[in-house]
Amino acid sequence: MNNIWGDMAQYDPVTWNWVIAVYLFMAGLSAGSVLIGIGMRWYSKDNKTESPILKAAAIVGPVAISLGLACLVFDLTKPFHFWLILINYNFQSVMAIGVLALLAYSPLGIAYGLIVLRDELPKWGLGFLSPIAEMLLGWRKVIEVLLFILAIGVGAYTGFLISAMNAYPMLNTAVLPALFLVSGLSAGAAANSVVALLMFKVDSHDKELSRMHALELPVMATEIMFLFMLFCALYFKGGAAAVALASLTSGVWAGVFWIGVVGIGFGIPLLSMLMPAATRHTKGAMLMVACSGLTGVLALRHFILYAGQSYIY
Amino acid sequence: MIKLDRRNFLKGAGAGSATCALATMLPGSLAALEKEPLKAVGKEVASICEMCSTRCPISARVVDGKNVFISGNKEAKSFGGKVCARGGAGHSLLYDPQRIVNPLKRVGERGEGKWAEISWDEAYEMMSTNLNRIKREHGPEAVAFSSKKGSLSGHFFHLAKAFGSPNTFTHGSLCPGAYVIAAKSMFGTKLKRDLGNSKYIINFGHNIYEGINMSETRGMMKAQSERGAKLVVFEPRFSVVADKADEWHAVRPGTDVAVALALCHVLITDKLYDQAFVERYVVGFDAFAAEVKAYTPEWAEGITDVKAKDIRRIAYELAAAAPHAVVDFGHRATFTTEEFDMRRAIFAANVLIGNIERKGGLYLGKKAKTYNKFAGETVAPKLAKPGVEGMPKPTAKRIDQMDKQYTMVWKNGGVYQSILAATLEAKPYQLRGWVMSRTNPMQTMTDRAKVLEALKKMEFVAVCDVYISETAAYADLILPESTYLERDEEIADKSGKNPAYYVRQRVVETIGNTKPSWQIFKEVGDALGLSKFYPWENMETLQLAQMNRDGKALRHIREKGYVSYGKPLMLREPSMVAKFIDTYANARTPDDDGTYASALKFKTPSGKIELSSAAVEAFAPGRGVIQYRDAPLKRADELYFIQGKVAVHTNGATHNVPILANLMADNAVWIHPVTAGRLGINHGDAIRLTSSVGSETSYAMVTPGIRQDTVFAYMGFGSKNKELIRASGKGLHCGNLLPDSTAPVVGMNLHTTGVKVEKV
Amino acid sequence: MNKRYVMVHDENKCIGCQACNVACRSENGTPEGVTRLQVRVEGPFGDAPNLHFKYHRVSCQQCEDAPCVKVCPTGAAYVGEDGIVTIKEDKCVGCMYCVAACPYKVRFVNPETKATDKCNFCKDTRLARGELPACVTVCPTDALTFGDANEPDSEVAKLLNTKPSYQDKTHLGTKPRVYRIPTKRGGIES
Repeated sequence: MNNIWGDMAQYDPVTWNWVIAVYLFMAGLSAGSVLIGIGMRWYSKDNKTESPILKAAAIVGPVAISLGLACLVFDLTKPFHFWLILINYNFQSVMAIGVLALLAYSPLGIAYGLIVLRDELPKWGLGFLSPIAEMLLGWRKVIEVLLFILAIGVGAYTGFLISAMNAYPMLNTAVLPALFLVSGLSAGAAANSVVALLMFKVDSHDKELSRMHALELPVMATEIMFLFMLFCALYFKGGAAAVALASLTSGVWAGVFWIGVVGIGFGIPLLSMLMPAATRHTKGAMLMVACSGLTGVLALRHFILYAGQSYIY
Repeated sequence: MIKLDRRNFLKGAGAGSATCALATMLPGSLAALEKEPLKAVGKEVASICEMCSTRCPISARVVDGKNVFISGNKEAKSFGGKVCARGGAGHSLLYDPQRIVNPLKRVGERGEGKWAEISWDEAYEMMSTNLNRIKREHGPEAVAFSSKKGSLSGHFFHLAKAFGSPNTFTHGSLCPGAYVIAAKSMFGTKLKRDLGNSKYIINFGHNIYEGINMSETRGMMKAQSERGAKLVVFEPRFSVVADKADEWHAVRPGTDVAVALALCHVLITDKLYDQAFVERYVVGFDAFAAEVKAYTPEWAEGITDVKAKDIRRIAYELAAAAPHAVVDFGHRATFTTEEFDMRRAIFAANVLIGNIERKGGLYLGKKAKTYNKFAGETVAPKLAKPGVEGMPKPTAKRIDQMDKQYTMVWKNGGVYQSILAATLEAKPYQLRGWVMSRTNPMQTMTDRAKVLEALKKMEFVAVCDVYISETAAYADLILPESTYLERDEEIADKSGKNPAYYVRQRVVETIGNTKPSWQIFKEVGDALGLSKFYPWENMETLQLAQMNRDGKALRHIREKGYVSYGKPLMLREPSMVAKFIDTYANARTPDDDGTYASALKFKTPSGKIELSSAAVEAFAPGRGVIQYRDAPLKRADELYFIQGKVAVHTNGATHNVPILANLMADNAVWIHPVTAGRLGINHGDAIRLTSSVGSETSYAMVTPGIRQDTVFAYMGFGSKNKELIRASGKGLHCGNLLPDSTAPVVGMNLHTTGVKVEKV
Repeated sequence: MNKRYVMVHDENKCIGCQACNVACRSENGTPEGVTRLQVRVEGPFGDAPNLHFKYHRVSCQQCEDAPCVKVCPTGAAYVGEDGIVTIKEDKCVGCMYCVAACPYKVRFVNPETKATDKCNFCKDTRLARGELPACVTVCPTDALTFGDANEPDSEVAKLLNTKPSYQDKTHLGTKPRVYRIPTKRGGIES
């Protein structure tokens, strides 16, 4: 029958677009960076120096989340009414809980950044903030612990946010929050490398840096495992869910997945491990591997968001 | 006062910047008008819809100053208080920025699309200068007047008569004319269908589930869903009515007449027909029976692709359900050149099962005069027909009056397409002017190229319309009429099984510089020097005259919008007659069988139902007896091209209405998968259809719901003039593929032809 | 919440004419380009001559367990006392979570108010005046029935208790309140 009922464009199941994918990336990046920074500090038990990794995390954390939040606000259809979401809460909604978490995480992240970078502040012309940093220093342990916990929340909550929607078989899965958290760690480590190498001129053979790199393979392996679980779940659920597996074989998002997520995001870092140690540890090689990792996580967010929304039950 | 400023309204009309700009540039359009407040006349006004010719009673309301919500008038029971999509979209037409609200005159070449706004005085002057000149030099008959029937068309034809031209035409020969003439030749009058009470309905492509006729659509749906009626549909396409049918037979296009005749054959040969009824009420049965002997179901199968055993079985089922069964005589009667005999064959089948004036069958409308006589009292006021004395009698013959076989067509709308030969070939004489109101022959008449040529050749073309339709695009003068929501009209007769009247009343104040057409034609009459034939000043005077000065009765009708008088009556239905005589103490005494069977008379020469007609034989030799004639409709290497109605549009009229255009903007062509495969066509491919007179491109909709040898497109799309921005260039123009044709006896256009289809 | 408004769409009577579509738009002032309601004529399914269309009404299902209400961060999407899932425009920020979460994809952003919008059974227009929703009011073939299913005498209660009906996507646990009477021919999964 001819279409006599009007335009169906509004029924396109893909509701959230690339701006949200970027936000998801930024949230995961911020959380992962902070988790790695603080985690490594606790592991090293060195309370005297602020390691370059931690300093990197102190920048990446707040900056990434601020950029992400800016994306969020501008994606709203009523951006100038964003404050409504700060004063009205429906605690059944993952987004409302996320707002609360971010309301706490963001200032804490900035506070922690001030603490960690208190020696850099004067060098960057932000000397007027030093008194605040000194004052916050007394609260360091509390802030650190809170920030760490909130970072886990922020890293995982975007996964919960999306998986709460039972309309989409590819998204409505328990693995998603775990996948987002782990890929956030991966992105965080990569970003920390880049900032540490470029901004804090850390030596490519730095011990902390190497310790962080040692995390990369296990994190990547976990990520691949979670992806595998996600696709298996779809396959075994059958019906409309199994149809979503077409996203791996056809359409533009299949390309994004295999080239972006797997090829660049996993492939280049893995291949780099075959390089001779000397090459591997050059600044250039490390930057390239880190950027590939970041690209891969960005591609993953896009793939999950777009391909995930394309298939409905 | 409810305010509607231009910004809100244009926003509400969804003006994308391109739409807005074009609409604003179109002179005389609503968009070019300065901001005007929407003035509502009342809160809830009863009126009559005019989005199609069903003319449902409506109840219209102004909501928030922005939209008018339209639903049905609950006073009219058989309409149920409902409206269809088109009726509901009336306000979308009312406020379409593209509506013409000021008279326009052509300033470029005809059809070039250059217009200038003029005053009404100038417009009337143009009319008088041009029409009177033609009258002086060539006689008034050189001007043709054509209008869709109904609404204020009476005033238009009054103008034609006052002017002295015999060449008046309705759209009858483009659509329903044949069944009206068939009915009149057999019964002396039109008949109505009682679908709601039918137990068995045979339907030949009468798609009332898409070409909605509210009370019939509701009636048939009730019969099917609540009263266990069986519906059998013969149609080449799987339409919505075919979907709702219990049986769908994909009959070969244009061959329905063979099925109807075969059904009659079985009814007669197997003695299933109502012999008593035939003996009492029918003449010409023997001639018909003799003719029908050869029309066996097996014979029909070869022609129609409907299985003989199905035809036979259906005839038996029909007879078993008789008399509360009906063979639907349809509406659009343009499937074959043999429409006269097709519709008569269908009527014959009804006559054979004796369902006339029975529940679920066919019946004659009971107007006030008849009804009051039966009731023995004045149940319903009679609707007077105010006339004017001393109307001129045209001296010339009509252009379609040369051929005697069209005798019955002259008084039933005329052969509209005869305007073409008269203009292009001066046959029988030259037409030089064409005045039109509410008609769009560029869309609704076959052979668009010929219509275009004729319009171009005319010396003067004036069109009264609400849009610059595809036809108005070729006018010299456009007279903008107020939409139906802005006008008052005379009381209309909607009698069925009992008398009923309803009236159109304005819902909002007049918009722009438009006028209701009764006023336009009166003022044109004044300008032409014909004032003496227009003695009335306003609509109220006319309405009062109709009600015989009974102000109370008039007020009652205006308040309710729709008034039904008395109880339904069918002369041969005992239960209804019993209820009738219970209600009216002075009612006519029924016959012994408790019916009014003896009162059933027909306005034919014999006073009976003329299955075979000597009168017809006299003016159309060989046509007196219903007969099968082969009517080739396409070449062997072509596909049949057929069209139909869709629920969200009305023929060629609504495709620019914003809400409706947004529902459906074009008409992809239905083509069977096997045929498409053979031609290398996939669903959604661009295709070209080529007929003997034109070529159109469209998209393929591959579907099993169509015969392999047939393609289908919904009618009314593909207007090619740029003024209709929502409709222009969208879809396939059906009229451009259909050759000019005039069927024997009934003068109908033909809507079945052959096309070649290829991938573009 | 003692009222349980339900809508019943009889696909046998529905002819896909879009009278409901137009009436809804007219009564609720829906802007051009978006719609609260469509009836899609799907198919034909089956093998000729046993073909059939499916008349599929697409509009808010007024779920009793509505995903859109659960996910709305500000509570702009809420269930009123009459049980109707409604939108408080001035609380909506336009995050589109509800639009994405709706399994039936019937929520949309109203280009004029910039808040989300959907069918609300004509709650603030016709129901507020004690009239039936616009679509039910105009349907030419009486394919729509609306009422309080908690009232045993209501038309909808009688209809649902006597005719077989189905609902869309019940496996998602949304408990929609739009019921559909399937066509005589063809199964539910047409």
